[in-house]
Amino acid sequence: MNLASIAIKNTRRNIFRTVLTVVGVAVAMLAFLLLRTVLSAWLVGAEYAAKDRIATRHKVTFVMWLPKHYAEDVKQIPGVGAVTYMNWFGAHLPGKESQFFANLATDPKTFLDVYDEISLPADQKQNWLEDRRGAIVGAVLARQFGWKVGDKVTLEGSIYPGMWEFNIDGIYSATRKSIDQSSFYFNWEYMNELAPGPAKEKIGWISSKVPNPSEAGRVSKAIDKLFDPRDIQTLSMSERAMNTSFLGMMSTLLTAMQIVSLVILLIMMLILGNTIAMGVRERTHEYGVLRAIGFLPKHLTAFVLGEATVLGLAGGLLGLALGVPLINQGVGRFMEENFTGFFPYFRVADKDAIISVVLSIVLALIAAAVPAYQVSRLNVINALRKVG
Amino acid sequence: MSALIKLEKVGKTYFRGKEPIEVLKDLDLEMPEGAFEALMGPSGSGKSTLLNLIAGLDSVTSGTISVSGVNLGAMSEGQRAHWRSQNVGFIFQTYNLLPVLTAAENVELPLLLAPLSSAERKTRSLTALRAVGLEERGHHRPDQLSGGQQQRVAIARAIVTDPKIIVADEPTGDLDRVSANQILELLVKMNKELKKTIVMVTHDPAAAERASIVRHLDKGQLT
Ligand SMILES: Nc1ncnc2c1ncn2[C@@H]1O[C@H](COP(=O)(O)OP(=O)(O)O)[C@@H](O)[C@H]1O
Ligand SMILES: [Mg+2]
Repeated sequence: MNLASIAIKNTRRNIFRTVLTVVGVAVAMLAFLLLRTVLSAWLVGAEYAAKDRIATRHKVTFVMWLPKHYAEDVKQIPGVGAVTYMNWFGAHLPGKESQFFANLATDPKTFLDVYDEISLPADQKQNWLEDRRGAIVGAVLARQFGWKVGDKVTLEGSIYPGMWEFNIDGIYSATRKSIDQSSFYFNWEYMNELAPGPAKEKIGWISSKVPNPSEAGRVSKAIDKLFDPRDIQTLSMSERAMNTSFLGMMSTLLTAMQIVSLVILLIMMLILGNTIAMGVRERTHEYGVLRAIGFLPKHLTAFVLGEATVLGLAGGLLGLALGVPLINQGVGRFMEENFTGFFPYFRVADKDAIISVVLSIVLALIAAAVPAYQVSRLNVINALRKVG
Repeated sequence: MSALIKLEKVGKTYFRGKEPIEVLKDLDLEMPEGAFEALMGPSGSGKSTLLNLIAGLDSVTSGTISVSGVNLGAMSEGQRAHWRSQNVGFIFQTYNLLPVLTAAENVELPLLLAPLSSAERKTRSLTALRAVGLEERGHHRPDQLSGGQQQRVAIARAIVTDPKIIVADEPTGDLDRVSANQILELLVKMNKELKKTIVMVTHDPAAAERASIVRHLDKGQLT
């Protein structure tokens, strides 16, 4: 037996209350972990966004098209490597408008050069390059709809009306988190051929590789400068800069979530503070006995803080034990499959796991500060006179 | 026998709000080393107050108390706590064992304040439990023991640090006659065999009979 084991044993005194408190802390921590993970997943999206890729779109809005030959012009700018282009196609499975997934028309050859983190088996790649109606789909999307290589898929267009038939030539995965795995990419030539007059030879945006990421800012400016004198001007930004500016737009929501996290932590502290204060009050007489025997105020303070640490740690660990499987296997899988654009990677970060446990302990100690102080000021005689 | 505990003109006044309550007045008292003292007197006469002063739990309002020549009034509260842990064993009316600890752990508790190895603490608490005849009950919790057994554990806890003085505030007050007699036998044994000076507050004339010296307190004065 030692001083620490007494603090642990004290938590067994009122098992029911201890269990309720620990579960309370665990639930609060679980909620905290979930919010932190949403935030982290968002930031991870920005962090993993490529620094070495510049997107160039219509200066006014990305809904407006650029002339296709702009892509050729971008290629001439020093510092630019491979260049590809894309159109938002906006089609859906016939009769299933609610099942959203990103589908984009692109030039397969240059697309695979610019998005070199895409991993596609060599034979599938070859098929796609040669197939006018070919498409490749992300592994997550393929799993969601049960698509296999060789399947024929019909999509119903909205921006480009009509029924469009595609061959699934390949299923891609990604070697980095900078591209999601639930998009549908198909051959731009096929779309252009059947597009209505005003939409012909028009592209949604240009994506160019900058082999030296430190030049991304300069190159972006150079691109926009090139088109400045023309009828249609452009806005260029690295993918990283774009995601970061998107995060800036979301900052109110992020702040709201931070506040909710804080409120959760506050509630947790109240639960803990209440339990600890109740325990201390009930044990006043006992603390008097300990002081009589020769224990010092600092020992009693240590008992109270030790007990708080045990409660906080137990709650934090339980929260982690419940939260990690729930988030990683449950919520996270759902988010990755359904909101992949925002959350390409929705898992509990190690950092957040550690933060949640450390916070549980730190907040428990803060919650215990007042009772711990009171117990150190305890008057021995009065405590001994107090019955029960 | 020389005086182990010496009180000179001791006064103790409590305040209830602004109103002073003079509990002890100009008390002079000497308790010899090795004595078994019984303090008797009506309820509210200041017996517990006097005991707490002797035990170094509380400080006097006036006068001096010295134990083995050491002036308790000159000590800080921290020094008195340390002094208590080495010189005084406590026995209370309601036993006051920690309910979450076993009997053996309760006995070991005061030793946590001494620089002893875990093995040595175990040996000493077992010896103390044996002295009260409860070596078989070391792993029991207080609520698994009778009142008399709990009080014997409390006696083991009081002697485990080998203090000079044992103070007992109505140690038999909550016990039936048979258990009370066992406790009193034990106190006599501690006094005779282990040479402990015992100061016991009691209401019970049968208990006072076991003591070597009986004193009566009334309205803060020895009579
Ligand atoms: N901490 C205290 N504050 C105020 N009054 C006290 C305090 N302790 C004791 N008293 C008063 O002092 C008197 C003597 O108390 P006590 O020593 O406990 O008597 P006894 O043990 O003889 O019954 C009582 O009137 C009691 O109310
Ligand atoms: Mg009393």
